[in-house]
Amino acid sequence: MDSPQNIKKRVKSVNNINKITKAMEMVAATKMRKSQEIALASRPYAFAALDFLATVSSLDQKLPELFEVREVKKVLFVLVSSDKGLAGAFNSSVFRKFEKHEKEYPASAKGSGAAREEKFYIAVGEKSCNYLEKKGLNIVQKFNAVGDYTTPEQVHPITDFIVKGFIEKKWDRVIVVSTHFRSALKQEPHVRRILPIDFDHIKETVQQIIPERGKFAELIKEHQITFVPDRMRLKQFLIEPSSEKVLQQLGEHLFFIQFYHLILEANASEHSARRMAMKTASDNASDLGEKLNLQYNKSRQSKITTEISEISAGAEALN
Amino acid sequence: MEISVYSLKNVLFQGEASLLNCKTVTGEITILDNHDSLITVLSAGVIKIVDENKKDNYFPVKSGFLEVKPGNEVRCIVEQ
Repeated sequence: MDSPQNIKKRVKSVNNINKITKAMEMVAATKMRKSQEIALASRPYAFAALDFLATVSSLDQKLPELFEVREVKKVLFVLVSSDKGLAGAFNSSVFRKFEKHEKEYPASAKGSGAAREEKFYIAVGEKSCNYLEKKGLNIVQKFNAVGDYTTPEQVHPITDFIVKGFIEKKWDRVIVVSTHFRSALKQEPHVRRILPIDFDHIKETVQQIIPERGKFAELIKEHQITFVPDRMRLKQFLIEPSSEKVLQQLGEHLFFIQFYHLILEANASEHSARRMAMKTASDNASDLGEKLNLQYNKSRQSKITTEISEISAGAEALN
Repeated sequence: MEISVYSLKNVLFQGEASLLNCKTVTGEITILDNHDSLITVLSAGVIKIVDENKKDNYFPVKSGFLEVKPGNEVRCIVEQ
């Protein structure tokens, strides 16, 4: 058995770890709540924009480039992860999902007789950058510091870059792997196609902003939008400068909103994953602390017993 | 008329109002009660809304969209 002094030292350090992880848990919990609130605050806006698109897109006319489905030769993958670690399985689950998708995808492409596609990658977050670099993949661009809470200003460079590449035909399809925030305890990595723009995909993303359970879950029934615009009424609409221009701008805008929401969701997931990880860590630390404490007491007791027996043996010898 | 102005961060204005003035890509416009249905793109400028208490509200915007719906309903989505 270790000496009591050594055990005491270990007890101390375990207790310190416990304090630190507990503090980090608290921080992550508040951050999670805040990032959820931010995501929710932008919902009325997103719904209005969607409704808007429903109105405009029902007009008979050519869809702008961002909606165009081309033959897929080049695919861009965007991996959304965190900048910092200590978030449990948050990042690795994204990477695992991505690997799984990679494995399954060639099979489905062969079925349609398509040639092998060229692949490009964008890393959002330090961790995904490290991961892609380690795999030796073709990173076109990396973006950092979208962690904690994103602002629209932080997301703009990313979306601008993706849209530009799409219009210049650097890629024909954009796929995002990011985490979907189902509830504070459950996050799932999802693979989503974000370009070319698809109405249903955007709607899905916007609807998923509300977690299934928890404080904000009851908001889910609040918004019901219909996507069946009244054609008769539409004819009366005056559109300035032209429906084509409006649709193009709106398309870009919706793409931005969708991406913004994806990142907000990833933020919320990151914080709640970190909270869970820290909670387990502090639980483990307090368990360990208890065990060490017991061990310390035992070793102290055995030392005292030895001392007493030594003393009494000495007293006996004197008699 | 019923006006709602949404931005990504919050709802800027919601409620009854008598006048809305803003800059669009084709020029400055003012919308009063019973305006014709309209969809347009906003350019950088200030949106001015006079609400039912005759109070002026100003919102600076970078870009956005404006929709006047039949039924005296106006909706803006803006970026600040």
